[in-house]
Amino acid sequence: MRLRISKKIQHNLPHHLKSKLKKNKQPMYDIGIIGGGPAGYVAAERAGQQGLSVILFESKALGGVCLNEGCIPTKTLLFSAKILDYASHGAQYGIRTTGTVADLPFMMSRKDKVVRKLVAAVEHKMKHNKVVVVKAAASILENNKGVVTIQAGDKKVECRNLLICTGSETAVPPVKGLNESGYLTSREALQITEIPASMAIVGGGVIGLEFASLFSSLGTKVTVIEMMSEILPGMDSEIIQLLRKEFSKRGIEFHLNARVTEATEKKIVVEKEGQRLEINADRILISTGRKPVTTGFGLEKLGVELVKGCIKIDEHCRTNIPNIYAAGDVTGFSMLAHTASREGEVAVNHIAGKPDRMRYKAIPGVVYTNPELAVAGLTEEEARNKGIEVEVQKLPMTYAGRFVAENEMFQGLCKIIVGKKYHEVLGVHMIGNPASEMIFGAAMAIEAQLTINELKEIVFPHPTVSEILKEGVYMFKV
Amino acid sequence: MAIPVIMPKQGQSVESCILTCWNKKKGDPVRKGDILFSYETDKASFEAEAEAEGTLLETFFADGDEIAVLTNVAVIGLPGESIDEYRPGKTASPSKTEPEKGKSEMAATSGEDIKTVPETGSPAESGIIKISPRARKIAAEKGVPIASLKGSGSEGRIVEKDIHQYLLHHSRLTPLAASAANREGLTAGNTGTGLAGSVTAGDLVIATGGYAESYTDQPLTNVRRIIARAMHASLQNSAQLTHHMGADVSRLQAARKKIKEMQEKGYPHNITLNDMVCYAVIRALLKHPAANAHFLGESIRYFSSVHLGMAVDTDRGLMVPALRNASALSLVELSLELKKLADQCRNSSINPDLLAPASATFTVSNLGNYGVEMFTPVINLPQVAILGVNTITYRPRPLKEFSVEFVPYIGLSLTYDHRAIDGGPATKFLAEIRNEIENFKENTA
Repeated sequence: MRLRISKKIQHNLPHHLKSKLKKNKQPMYDIGIIGGGPAGYVAAERAGQQGLSVILFESKALGGVCLNEGCIPTKTLLFSAKILDYASHGAQYGIRTTGTVADLPFMMSRKDKVVRKLVAAVEHKMKHNKVVVVKAAASILENNKGVVTIQAGDKKVECRNLLICTGSETAVPPVKGLNESGYLTSREALQITEIPASMAIVGGGVIGLEFASLFSSLGTKVTVIEMMSEILPGMDSEIIQLLRKEFSKRGIEFHLNARVTEATEKKIVVEKEGQRLEINADRILISTGRKPVTTGFGLEKLGVELVKGCIKIDEHCRTNIPNIYAAGDVTGFSMLAHTASREGEVAVNHIAGKPDRMRYKAIPGVVYTNPELAVAGLTEEEARNKGIEVEVQKLPMTYAGRFVAENEMFQGLCKIIVGKKYHEVLGVHMIGNPASEMIFGAAMAIEAQLTINELKEIVFPHPTVSEILKEGVYMFKV
Repeated sequence: MAIPVIMPKQGQSVESCILTCWNKKKGDPVRKGDILFSYETDKASFEAEAEAEGTLLETFFADGDEIAVLTNVAVIGLPGESIDEYRPGKTASPSKTEPEKGKSEMAATSGEDIKTVPETGSPAESGIIKISPRARKIAAEKGVPIASLKGSGSEGRIVEKDIHQYLLHHSRLTPLAASAANREGLTAGNTGTGLAGSVTAGDLVIATGGYAESYTDQPLTNVRRIIARAMHASLQNSAQLTHHMGADVSRLQAARKKIKEMQEKGYPHNITLNDMVCYAVIRALLKHPAANAHFLGESIRYFSSVHLGMAVDTDRGLMVPALRNASALSLVELSLELKKLADQCRNSSINPDLLAPASATFTVSNLGNYGVEMFTPVINLPQVAILGVNTITYRPRPLKEFSVEFVPYIGLSLTYDHRAIDGGPATKFLAEIRNEIENFKENTA
């Protein structure tokens, strides 16, 4: 047991005892954060900005999966691929190129440079906000009388609140021969040294499709195998069909309703509608999903409630234990970096006593393929399933002049869904570049419960692709 | 020069008063000091004296109206003078708009009243913004700019309602919430779950106004007012508690059955179970005078005869007439008299004196017919006890050899004033009632 001695008594102690006291003194942190990904480092930054004392545990590089082996490196490589796409189609815009080559080693080193730069930026942010960063794996020892004790290396740390941001890891399905096949996950795919001639991608979710886009642009023959009846489950079906059509034009092959039964080094066996298919592939990429990391750091000591393997949180990102919070993929809600960051902020604000709450209605979703796909809010189908009466307007992106100027051969699509009664914006779904950069506007409208009347009063810059929203809004008859 | 008469303000928290009755009517001559009208707050009643001499030119309200304090209720002046400017609802206050010396007398008095009104809060704002403390508090919490608000209270005073009105139209409702609020009669609740605490459509609650068509406000009738006051005063001013006990009513039921049979053969009296219970109660009271008494604060008055109060449910409300000298009556007489009193209450021919709580020495309230199994009747002060009579239930009673029989029990709920009677005697009295019921003699009839 450690004695707590009041400041006044401490002050009056003889010098030799005072120095002893200092040696034993352990700082008590307001927040301890396990995991330095988009949930953890953003939470640490926000907490530091508010003057809370923060300690962050991360055994690997700051930035988490997102920065080191997810969002950022893939987007860096996808940009290179996009330049290649433009170059190869330059003739359509009056630019003829010869001998365009994808320099994979250069692309990879540039990607690493980008990652290093951003990791350094996060480290700087931590320093700037007086966040103590411990580069060691953390292990929770106990949560006693509102004080959480954490072991990291040979150091024991105490904090009043704990924020768990341990993220997720790739879930690999149990498939015969897969472990021996030398398959890739997103992590290894970002480290390859040669562009494969062919690739089978198992799982047609966001990660699978982004890699499909990337490798297809680099010249790989890509086959996507999806167990469900459609890729990108949960997204607007018309938009997805457009993407699939575009991808098919580029030679990407899709096998829907298909289950992988066996894998070898250069081949996978698929069962599709009762038929057995053999797909030859130089490399196999597994992108069937991710699962929360809830073990290996002493979570079981806390008695935190889990739901389907994810930490259960309330609207303040608090678990069933009052001083334990969780944010990011470990909560299993949306598995997106920006959701994670926002959850981290909400948790910090709640700890700091600031009113805030997590809302999931307007979280944008982006697929960074070429063309990009971006969504926010409800799909038509979701709204109808919820019993909401809606009105829908669909318009090709070519309604925006800028889009026509920059896109030969592709029409794109923008779909706007509003409530029938009050015409509030419920959902926006877009395919066509740069949808990823415009979708925040839709998210703002949904979050603020704007109706099309307010949107009509907003001035959009001309000429931009974003004007598609304004065009769409005026198509509703009010 | 006509002078308005205002509803005076009694105490800090009083926002409105009920004008109980006018002592003068329109056109009556009025002398200074005459009682113009009586009025009451929720706590007390007062009389308003005329501050000026003349004729009561106009009265703006009727008996029973609830009137915001400091509102003009009447005008005194010379016949033929205009009273329109004093009509309530006119924003201009005459004492401010007409700086003429003729009204100085009234201005002085009303000015005095206004000075005692501490509603304007901090000295810095007093005299500039008139606002109720509650409204001020909410305004501060919600960041409502009170300086720009127009109050709907008397003399433009800002009241809570005004703040809510403001919030409805100005709080950070999302555009969707605003449309829904307007179209569906909803209002912002206490929580905003949207951006930076803005009120989303999901946060809206049904506004009080949403009920506007589904309720009516009815002024209290006199009976209701008397009951309200008496019952509330009883619970406020005494130390009441209730004991419950059951009594085997087999004998009463047998007697009742017999009477019914006799009636078929021409017996004229319909003696009810209630009559018999009352008869038993009177017998018990005679043995326990402690319960047949009035608590008078510094003394207790014990009565030698029983004047039995009986709760009667009428269309106009509860009435409790007293049956004077009930202890002198036979069961048949008691039955007849109780019936007579109840009828008189129902057809409003009852002698009001018999309704005064002091007329009775003890009260019986019978809810057995309604199936009530237990309740806590409220004493009619200054009486010291009241018996609640409940419905009959069947309870098992053990017989020999592991069997039971079911016995009809009538529930008895005795509320007594602990200031006058202790628990022991009260229980003994209750047991005595039970005893009288259980040993009821049929031939009494």
